[in-house]
Amino acid sequence: MSAGLASVRRVMERWSRDQVLALAPDAASRKAAAGVSAAGKWSGTGALPEAVWGECRGSGATPYRTCVDLSEPAYRCSCPSRKFPCKHALGLLLLWSADGMATAASPPAWAAEWLDERRDRAAKKAGATAAGAGDTGAGHATSGPGGDDRAGDSLGGPAGDDAGGGAPEGGGPEDGGVRGPRPGKGRPAAEQRESRVTSGLSELERWLCDQIAQGVAQARQTGLADWDDLARRLVDAQAPGVAGVVSRLSRLLREEDWPGLLLGEYALIHLLAVAHRRTAELPAELRETVRSRIGFPVTRESVLASPPVRDHWDVLGGRDEEQDRLVARRIWLAGRKTGRPAMVLSFAPVGQALDASLVPGTTIDADLAFYPGASPLRALVAGRHGHVAAGPPPGMPLSQVPARIAEVLAGDPWADSWPVVLSGVTPSEDALADGEGAALPLHPSSAPPWRLLAVSGGRPVTVAAEWTPGGLRPLTTWDEEERVVPL
Amino acid sequence: MNASWEELVSAALVGAERRAVPPGSVLEQAAVQVVRGRAGRRPLSGRAPAPAPAETLPLAPRAAGDRLARLLSGEHARLLPEWLALAARREVRVPARLIPELLDLGARDRSIRAHLGAVTGARGRWLAGLNSAWSYLLAEPAHVPPGEVWELGTSGDRRAYLSRLRGEDPAGARELLERGWGAETPEDRAAFVAILADGLSMDDEPFLEAALDDRRREARQAAADLLTRLPGSRLSRRMAGRAARLLTDDGRGGLRAVPPKACDSTMERDGVRARPPAGTAQRGWWLQQVVAHTPLSFWAGHLGGRTPGQIVRLRIGDWAREVRMGWTRAAILQHDPEWARALFEVEPLTDLLAVLPPREQSDRAAGLVRDHPVDGQLIMMLGGVAAPWGPQLAGAVVEKILRTADAQPWNAGELIRLAGERLDPAVHARVEEVPDLAAVLRFRSDMSKELV
Repeated sequence: MSAGLASVRRVMERWSRDQVLALAPDAASRKAAAGVSAAGKWSGTGALPEAVWGECRGSGATPYRTCVDLSEPAYRCSCPSRKFPCKHALGLLLLWSADGMATAASPPAWAAEWLDERRDRAAKKAGATAAGAGDTGAGHATSGPGGDDRAGDSLGGPAGDDAGGGAPEGGGPEDGGVRGPRPGKGRPAAEQRESRVTSGLSELERWLCDQIAQGVAQARQTGLADWDDLARRLVDAQAPGVAGVVSRLSRLLREEDWPGLLLGEYALIHLLAVAHRRTAELPAELRETVRSRIGFPVTRESVLASPPVRDHWDVLGGRDEEQDRLVARRIWLAGRKTGRPAMVLSFAPVGQALDASLVPGTTIDADLAFYPGASPLRALVAGRHGHVAAGPPPGMPLSQVPARIAEVLAGDPWADSWPVVLSGVTPSEDALADGEGAALPLHPSSAPPWRLLAVSGGRPVTVAAEWTPGGLRPLTTWDEEERVVPL
Repeated sequence: MNASWEELVSAALVGAERRAVPPGSVLEQAAVQVVRGRAGRRPLSGRAPAPAPAETLPLAPRAAGDRLARLLSGEHARLLPEWLALAARREVRVPARLIPELLDLGARDRSIRAHLGAVTGARGRWLAGLNSAWSYLLAEPAHVPPGEVWELGTSGDRRAYLSRLRGEDPAGARELLERGWGAETPEDRAAFVAILADGLSMDDEPFLEAALDDRRREARQAAADLLTRLPGSRLSRRMAGRAARLLTDDGRGGLRAVPPKACDSTMERDGVRARPPAGTAQRGWWLQQVVAHTPLSFWAGHLGGRTPGQIVRLRIGDWAREVRMGWTRAAILQHDPEWARALFEVEPLTDLLAVLPPREQSDRAAGLVRDHPVDGQLIMMLGGVAAPWGPQLAGAVVEKILRTADAQPWNAGELIRLAGERLDPAVHARVEEVPDLAAVLRFRSDMSKELV
């Protein structure tokens, strides 16, 4: 198997401009990167199948030395920027992407040194077992924020424990209760958390019943204050997942059908509280799902200790969402052999580097470790074995989507996001349709999908999309030249 | 008890207590129904739009498409029109994924629409049919095979078709136009008349004279403008008759101007507009328009065989400004380089430059650049000089940039921007002392190499 790997590494395709720009931490970086992507700014550039490097003339006397390890990817630059990857690394990649760089026989000493270091480290890591946090490509110094996993983040997004941005990073016992009181004397933190969550959720259950008993007709007037208060109490009760769901309820009030939507959300929150109360009766996997929805932390170590799933993973696309001065980046993947979907979540404070190691439109040979649960989706990249040139991912016919989603919801009734790759679908202004006259509606925020319509021209295409209860949100498609098009 | 979803929502709204149902049961039933609804949702019946017609143009090379994406993301954004013009000339189409952004730009910026019509191909028109904000595209010419274009094409296609035919067979084009004239829309009539400028001859005179009675003012105006280029036309003779009375040799080495007392209906029919723009004296406005629509060849005979150079230097008492503006307008309308040159010597107006051959425009501008400080006026003048700038102007501008860069960086910046767009990109290696300029020119040079 390893002999075959060496050869797939070699055929790695040059990334498109869009793929490079998708790595930028923010819009300002994209713009700045374009400014340093001209050949005139660079000297001593070169590229190998696995690395690109060059020296960029800046305002100072000595040029910045920039090197990118494409296999990971990982970035290194001598500039003082706190952004990651910095504009020089992105500019260098843009230059490479535009074919503005000669292939070289070998990198200069300064680049070779860093690349060797990385290779040694990777070899050491491969030698050891899948333990500890992986080097996810942090480059500027040694501690850049790569795919650092935050303590206790839940699928519901960063809330509560994570929202402060000052939660302890990586390693250590995962109690990041920055707002909650410290654990009492002699009583283990975990046990105390359990009892806090239990009382917090039973209070929540009562609160919900009161709301329904009294009627929610006044929610438009009182909801905002009520939910704020409730979310705060849930944070104190160390149930950040539920707190996040509650704090997002205000969005529903904008909808015409808000009473029905609100009842639906209340019902699902209530279901979660009841599930926690009766947790002993649940099957083990569902119990894990309930705990992760509530916001109990799962350590990286325990995830990485589970048996990894090796596959060729298509990086389908991603979305960044800002909440409470923290940006959450979701990257969705799909395995070619296993057919499994996955989602890699990372966080960074606004304006700072996000994990840029998964490039949409590429396919990686990697080991993924999944967080436990009944419909497991969230995963960590436990180990990488290089890129694969594979073309657009295989998709499923539209007619199979409902059954797939039913399966997901049977495992995890709270699931509200799931990646799907559809093949042979033709987009219209508000739906994706197959050749048989069946159609799945798009999420209103994604309609009309002009870029997708432009690429398809009324003909069937492959579309990677995020399923949500409100409709599909297209992520990526592939054009007539099989080039990846982010949507 | 098994309530319907509507019953559950209604209980939740008014309060479960009032309905005498346990609130926990409302929540539990609602949870079941929500999840059941999500899990059991079936596809709707839906139909995709009819597919876009097949493309007739090849896709732009990959490097060119990537460069277009860079332009759209803001890098050297001012060069976007040039990219589009190059692509239209090379008859290639843009990658489909970039069409929506381009059409959004075109919705705000009319100047790029003509090129968009060509480079967005069949897909662009198909999209324009789906989004009313982009429907302007359907009026722009595209590369469609001829045949039934005149009969069935969009107005843009038909204009392009008529232009092409006019180039090959001027009489054929006019006859085609005459056959269906009455059925054309007013906008089309005005545009079609203007197309006859190419290959204009006395054979067109009867048609154009008749068009002076068109219902649409733009069509009448376009016909009048063309007829002034034909000194033998009836309109030219009528205008010359008026001009002869209004502007006379005063016998003392000067001219005497007497503006018309009224604007009668025959003057209006000949394209003189009765109502002056705000702030302009009425009679002076009429005088200016009569002079502007009089064939320039008339003046030599009327003023004792003087050359244009002599005529424009004659002393004129009152109304001198109106007369000069009239001549200037006439030189532009009638594309008369000799008059333009003479008028430019007296007052270097940018609009006059456009009448001169490109090389001469460039050389005359070079003289102005050498002799004048960099200011808004100079930059505006340069803005009117067509690309590519000749070597003299290029040299003068680069020298000017180097001299202003330290003292007036803001003015140098404007000059650099303009020079970046107008210089021949091939000279990028020779302007390395102005790095910003060299960078733009290199970008343009790469851009044109990619689009072959």
